[in-house]
Amino acid sequence: MSAVQTGEIITFFILAPLAVIGALGMVLARNAVHSALWLILTMLSLGVFYIVQAGPFIGMVQIIVYTGAIMMLFLFVLMLVGRDASDSVIETLRGQKVVGTLLGVGLAGLMATGIYQATRDYTVVGLEAANKDGNVQGLAKLIFTNYVFAFEVTSALLITAAVGAMILAHQEKSGVKAVGQVAKMRERFLPGNYPGPKPGPGVFATSNSVATPAKLPDGNPSQRSISPILPTRELTAAEKADKPTLTGGA
Amino acid sequence: MVKLPPMDYAAIMPLLILFGAACLGVLIEAFVPRRARNITQLLFSLAAVIAAMVFVVKRAGNVTAANAITAGGAITIDKAALFLQGSLLVLAFVSLLIFGERTLEQGGAFVAQAAVTVGSEKDKEQAAKSLGSTEVYPLALFSLAGMLLFVAANDLLTMFVALEVFSLPLYLLCALARRKRLLSQEAALKYFLLGAYASAFFLFGVALVYGYAKAVDFASIHTAAAVGAGNITLLITGLGLLAIGLLFKVAAAPFHVWTPDVYQGAPTPVTAFMAACTKAAAFGGLIRVLYVGFDGLGWQFTPVLGAIAALTVMVGAVLAVTQTDLKRLLAYSSVANAGYLLIGVLAGGQLGLQSVLFYLVAYGLTVIAAFALITLVRDADGEATHLSRWAGLGARSPLFAGIFTFLLLAFAGIPLTSGFMAKLSVFGAAVDGGQTWLVIFGVISSIILAFPYLRVVVMMWLSEPGESTPSVSLPGVLTSTALGVGTIATLVLGVAPGLLLDLADKAAAFIR
Repeated sequence: MSAVQTGEIITFFILAPLAVIGALGMVLARNAVHSALWLILTMLSLGVFYIVQAGPFIGMVQIIVYTGAIMMLFLFVLMLVGRDASDSVIETLRGQKVVGTLLGVGLAGLMATGIYQATRDYTVVGLEAANKDGNVQGLAKLIFTNYVFAFEVTSALLITAAVGAMILAHQEKSGVKAVGQVAKMRERFLPGNYPGPKPGPGVFATSNSVATPAKLPDGNPSQRSISPILPTRELTAAEKADKPTLTGGA
Repeated sequence: MVKLPPMDYAAIMPLLILFGAACLGVLIEAFVPRRARNITQLLFSLAAVIAAMVFVVKRAGNVTAANAITAGGAITIDKAALFLQGSLLVLAFVSLLIFGERTLEQGGAFVAQAAVTVGSEKDKEQAAKSLGSTEVYPLALFSLAGMLLFVAANDLLTMFVALEVFSLPLYLLCALARRKRLLSQEAALKYFLLGAYASAFFLFGVALVYGYAKAVDFASIHTAAAVGAGNITLLITGLGLLAIGLLFKVAAAPFHVWTPDVYQGAPTPVTAFMAACTKAAAFGGLIRVLYVGFDGLGWQFTPVLGAIAALTVMVGAVLAVTQTDLKRLLAYSSVANAGYLLIGVLAGGQLGLQSVLFYLVAYGLTVIAAFALITLVRDADGEATHLSRWAGLGARSPLFAGIFTFLLLAFAGIPLTSGFMAKLSVFGAAVDGGQTWLVIFGVISSIILAFPYLRVVVMMWLSEPGESTPSVSLPGVLTSTALGVGTIATLVLGVAPGLLLDLADKAAAFIR
């Protein structure tokens, strides 16, 4: 049973390259939706590996929960956020991609050789004992005996995640409050408020943009005359200079 | 037939109380009117922490080797676990007081709706008017419960679940600052991404250790390591990866890079909570892994962890010198302190364990008081944490500048403060345990680290207050209590440390 069978070898060598290609594709794909689809390929391959290695339950969970539910959630989120929300490609640390890749490859190489060295002359034991009453039953027994506390505590994790999603994403609707005339009047004459109408934006011979501030009597631009969300249009020196009509003609 | 394993409910009661209270806290959010929520949540959380503490104290008298392990072997409530749980509860109680402060600022230190775009009209409105969010209390309780489980976990799987349970709420709490919200969100994102990465290393390590020991509980790992059958590479690789996950949480170099950004960006009450409680929990987990599961591998891990400890104390101290922001300065100081604690861990034996337990409590109380004081020094934009702003504070407010000076002296390890006693016990244990070279690094680092502390002291007292010197707000009763408890504990533990040292000595025993 523990000897590796031909079918397993064939499955492995077909799916392992696919899994690696999927992983690479996920990292390299420019489009977020394509990334997610590549990831699905990797996850499906992993699911098959688990099943082949006599872990049908974890294999099915991998396919149903990860590939099915979580990836669909990913896609929904991408759909809502908009898939063209592109990343900034400016590197704040120069050369970090190269260094990161080198270090990553180095770590992967180190781990792979280490694990290969360590497990080379291991004989696989205990699979029959673990799956004696069936794979699912064996897992269930462990979950509800030795690890029952850890299993229950994961619910705290789920509650935290739900509360967290709500805190970080939920905005209360600011309902339009009915305001009476008296309250409005009081608010208008509160200290710090300017009760009169605001000046309109500057309309000059040279510019009639709403982003051009009106000029105060002393020649300074009035910030009150433009909407706060508009960037102030800088006036050129020629525009700023007093017009000939003001200086008595030239 | 599968039967539920016997549960010692008296032993796990503190955990059940905290998890239950956190769940009820979520319901309070739903049913209590907004105005009354903060006070309700605060009192409820404090009551839960006190109730948990009662059960911890009740349990402390009757721990035996026979009744320590419960819940199907998943949890060990031994004396060390009880000591750590008790200290976590005390530290969390004091930090929760700062969470509840509302007199310094309308709505407290937390933003009401984190989803509102930073800088928008709605954001300005909520900064001026809204009450702070009160979901922070259940989140803090979840985190605390996870920490209590983390220090008592008897197998690596339970430990991993506990690690996630205490980390996830912290990531969220970091994002909820009322002022400087972009910094806060950046901090949360960094902490989350790096934390998730570190958790993956931890999990990978668990898998490898399971491959060697054929079990994940510490007793089996200990036995398997003692027998030493087969190729031990797997076990050592596994331990290395586990250590990465744990060293990330304690903020040891080179896994410390998140610390300054997160400490600076997080709301200051959360920073206080993290600096004290996360450190205690993570070291609790680390000593359990090293002392209970992998004690047979001391020869293998001591040199590596020793190098990390030496690196940590030096990196923390040297980078602290270059800081211009007080929260970042304290963050690097916390990195250096993680190094000192690591020296204590490597000292080994009863003495090493005792010194680490003492250090965690002493440092935790001091650091909470320091962050409580930082919440007081404010200007129109919130807390004024830039170092130059603190110049001349001594003339403005001699009392608070005096307290802060005292706390900084405690960090620097000047006699008559708890910092001195803590460092003395850690270094003494390390010399005793044959790690004198680490003590040399520790002492050099302490000398370097004294410089930035003293620079702050000099700035506060010897500079003239200028135009931009912020005022020190008068704290409400909650912050005053936290500040008072932290300061008095720093003094008392420095003058008469005997009681806590005895307690730590009695508690310094793991049950396998």
